[in-house]
Amino acid sequence: MSFLTPLFLIGLAGLAVPVLLHLIQRERKQVVQFPSLMFLRRIPYQSVRRRRIRHWLLLMMRLAALALIVFAFARPFFRGAETPASAEGGAREVVILVDRSYSMGYGDRWARAIAEARKTVDSLTPSDRGTIVFFGSGTDVALRSTSDKGRLQSTLASAQLSAGATHYGPVLKLAGSILAESTLPRREVVLVSDFQRGGWRGADGVRLPDGAVLEPKPIGDADTANVAVTPVAIERSTFSDQERVTVTAGVTNHGAKALDGVDVTLEVNGRPIQTQRVRIDANASSSTTFAPVTLTAAEVRATVRLGDDAMTRDNAFHFMVAAGRPVRTVVANRAGSRDAGLYIGRALAVGETPRFDLTPRDAESLTADDLQPGSIVVLNDVPVSSSVAERLTRHVERGGGLLIVASQRGTWPQERAASVPAIPGEPIDRTRGQAGRLVGLEYGHPVFEPFRAPRSGDFSAARFYGYRALTMQPGASVLARFDDGSPALVERRVGSGRVLMWASSLDLEWNDLAVKPIFLPFVHQLARYLAAYREPEPWLTVGEVLDPSRTLAGHPNDIRTVISPSGQRIALDPEGGDVVELSEQGFYELRAQATGGGPAATVAANVDLSESDLTPMDPREVAAAATGRPADGEGGAQTAEMTDATREATQRVWWYMLFAAAIFLAAETVVSNRVTK
Amino acid sequence: MSSSPTSAIPGARFVDPKVLARIGNLELVARSVVDGFINGLHRSPYFGASVDFAEHRGYVPGDDIRRVDWRLYARTDRYYIKEYEADSNSNFAVLLDVSRSMGFGSEGLTKLDYARMLAACLTYLVHRQRDRVGFVAFDSDIVEFVPPSAKHMDTTLHVLDRLKPARPGSIREPMNKIAEHFGRRGLLVLVSDLYEEPDALLEAIGPLRFRGHDMIVFHVMDRAELDFEYADPSAFEDLESGEQIPIVPEALAGQYRDLVQAHITGLAERFSANRIDYTLVNTSAPLDHALFSYLSTRERLMRTR
Repeated sequence: MSFLTPLFLIGLAGLAVPVLLHLIQRERKQVVQFPSLMFLRRIPYQSVRRRRIRHWLLLMMRLAALALIVFAFARPFFRGAETPASAEGGAREVVILVDRSYSMGYGDRWARAIAEARKTVDSLTPSDRGTIVFFGSGTDVALRSTSDKGRLQSTLASAQLSAGATHYGPVLKLAGSILAESTLPRREVVLVSDFQRGGWRGADGVRLPDGAVLEPKPIGDADTANVAVTPVAIERSTFSDQERVTVTAGVTNHGAKALDGVDVTLEVNGRPIQTQRVRIDANASSSTTFAPVTLTAAEVRATVRLGDDAMTRDNAFHFMVAAGRPVRTVVANRAGSRDAGLYIGRALAVGETPRFDLTPRDAESLTADDLQPGSIVVLNDVPVSSSVAERLTRHVERGGGLLIVASQRGTWPQERAASVPAIPGEPIDRTRGQAGRLVGLEYGHPVFEPFRAPRSGDFSAARFYGYRALTMQPGASVLARFDDGSPALVERRVGSGRVLMWASSLDLEWNDLAVKPIFLPFVHQLARYLAAYREPEPWLTVGEVLDPSRTLAGHPNDIRTVISPSGQRIALDPEGGDVVELSEQGFYELRAQATGGGPAATVAANVDLSESDLTPMDPREVAAAATGRPADGEGGAQTAEMTDATREATQRVWWYMLFAAAIFLAAETVVSNRVTK
Repeated sequence: MSSSPTSAIPGARFVDPKVLARIGNLELVARSVVDGFINGLHRSPYFGASVDFAEHRGYVPGDDIRRVDWRLYARTDRYYIKEYEADSNSNFAVLLDVSRSMGFGSEGLTKLDYARMLAACLTYLVHRQRDRVGFVAFDSDIVEFVPPSAKHMDTTLHVLDRLKPARPGSIREPMNKIAEHFGRRGLLVLVSDLYEEPDALLEAIGPLRFRGHDMIVFHVMDRAELDFEYADPSAFEDLESGEQIPIVPEALAGQYRDLVQAHITGLAERFSANRIDYTLVNTSAPLDHALFSYLSTRERLMRTR
């Protein structure tokens, strides 16, 4: 027997009250004045105080009534009666969820998990049906709703750990849908996992069908220690015209013991080149910076590796270091003016991400090389002839970028107006009165997005003394306006490229923007946007999806095959559109038609590092969230299955107790009256 | 005035003390008790009064001319003063305990009320014998003091009338002081509830006895103190100290009565061994009963002396 509100049992102390009343209180009910206690004091005090109890029956009845009332309030219930009605019979639908995230590779957890799952399979009766679901980052229904115990066992025997991280939500939803489809009367979910705190992100809609039971089978270790490499930081620099990278690696100790002398090795293209020794305190992180490495190839595979511990998968961190590809930038300046391209040229020359390969050129003498896809052309205040306009239009259509700085002399042939966002019109003079200011910036646009946050750049400081009135073309959009409402920066997408037109100058001729702090980031952002520049991702995480078309921007449809780190060959649809889910840790090779089947690109995949924190959670939390009923202790599953009526039946004792107490009190009244007479 | 027929003494009219207590005037009380008592006794109240002539002596200036024997002057034409053997009247004083324990009374009449009437009666009685009456009230100190004098009966009765129990009592210190005040031999009547050890009491009244005073002790007790017929368990509070003790009377009444009896016996033995008259007075018994028992004892003692 247990109690729902055991605190009420403190009330048992109240049993002393009738005894005290019997023994002491009656003696003190009135004060009698007496001339002298001289003689009374001589009589031993004990004989006064320890009065014997005369009415044992009365006392016992009072005590019994009080005790019954106290017990009734403590709400006793019987564990024996807990077995719910639904457990009495009927076939079971059992969904066995086996966690195969890489943290299950810690020590012998995986073997224990499989053994636990096997035990559950063994407990199935011929009428029961079992489903085995392996889960990590994703879910994998290995065997669905079968009563063939042999197949279930062999499925378990062939199970492999994955490199994914634990996510309980999706698998519990899946289990819920499997149970919902079942027609069997009893439905159970057995969750075999190490119950990492990191895998549980709240119930978020996870709810098993009514009456379903979730039985957690925690596979954990009392003391865990694990060291993991955290994502690296890559810093680029240039030395003697050669690009160098400096790698800073972090190491986290998820154990309660400080570690001294942990070797951290940097491998480049599979060869260890540097090793650093670090000390990490308990439950702390440490970082180490390797000496700069000169990039000798366009793409370098790099790995930061630690020595082996109980969980090896998070001891290596893979990443790619690609040599920065400069963006080819052609700047056509006004002929005869030395300073015309000074500011924009200097600004682009100091670009780091990406670097800009700057080529000054006359507008009329643009070569085919200048107009490669991905390169940008800046027409800095130059008149454009019709033929040049046609070439530039084609360039933009193929994915190139074009920036037209209208300024004083910039023109665009009217017959090619369809390929630019606007035609520059008459100059507007703002030298008299208040100078113009840049307002109405489209912060949602990629060009201005970096300046959106407060204190990220102030465009209003720049004064504009002259600009061209732009005649907008259909399909163009205004990204910024002057304070009189006329457009300052307009954009138009042509083909797969972009054309931007700036209504004022990019030097000090018409405004002082070029000497404001905002100028440099603004020009870089313009160029980045026009070149459609995207920083290459040095690594991806297992569970993410690899889209070859994004990885190899130049010739996406050429990718035919992806080779996984374990050597598995994944053929892609030649039409494109296929994606690959990263399920292994290591380097994925993308092979293209153009390279004759050789590697066109390599992608590094790392395990989710949230999994390396082995802090466990209370399995009952998951059970409670999934079933919507509080689970308590080892009997939690059964309690959850109880119906309201059953629960009421097991706790009904208090009612009888109160009734018995009332009878005792009534009897006490009768006896007490009789005794008093 | 009702009378009690329960007395074994023939002819005596015993009046219920509760009735007497209703009479506001102490003199009236004393007179009604004492006169009735004497009438019933059929004995002369003037025992012990002496007017024995001793001698004549010559008049010297300053002598009271009332004491001149005019008959002898007529015969001898000289002034002579009549000298007697001794003064016929003696000193008498009541020493009344007015400590707070005397304020106890279980049946309306407190011990002090009773003792007051007793003292008034004795004073009246003695006054009628032409003795000098004095009075002392004490608790832990002397509260009232009326020096013995033939004219002090009214004063005594007046003082008696206004006494109230106020303080805790002790007997040793007041007795010492009283001994200093009463230089002349006399008869001292101690009226108290005697909540002291017998030996301590004897020691306390020692200075009085050593000065040659005759002592009579009236031990005034309420019936509740003697019988202890309480039924309910209660907290008993000491009237003098305020101390409380939880008491279950039925458990210890027997022991209590034994102790009180032993105390009374001890007092009686020690007083009688020291030639001190000791009379236990129960406040529920008639007043003249106490007087009679005293006087008869007194007479018996006088005869044996």
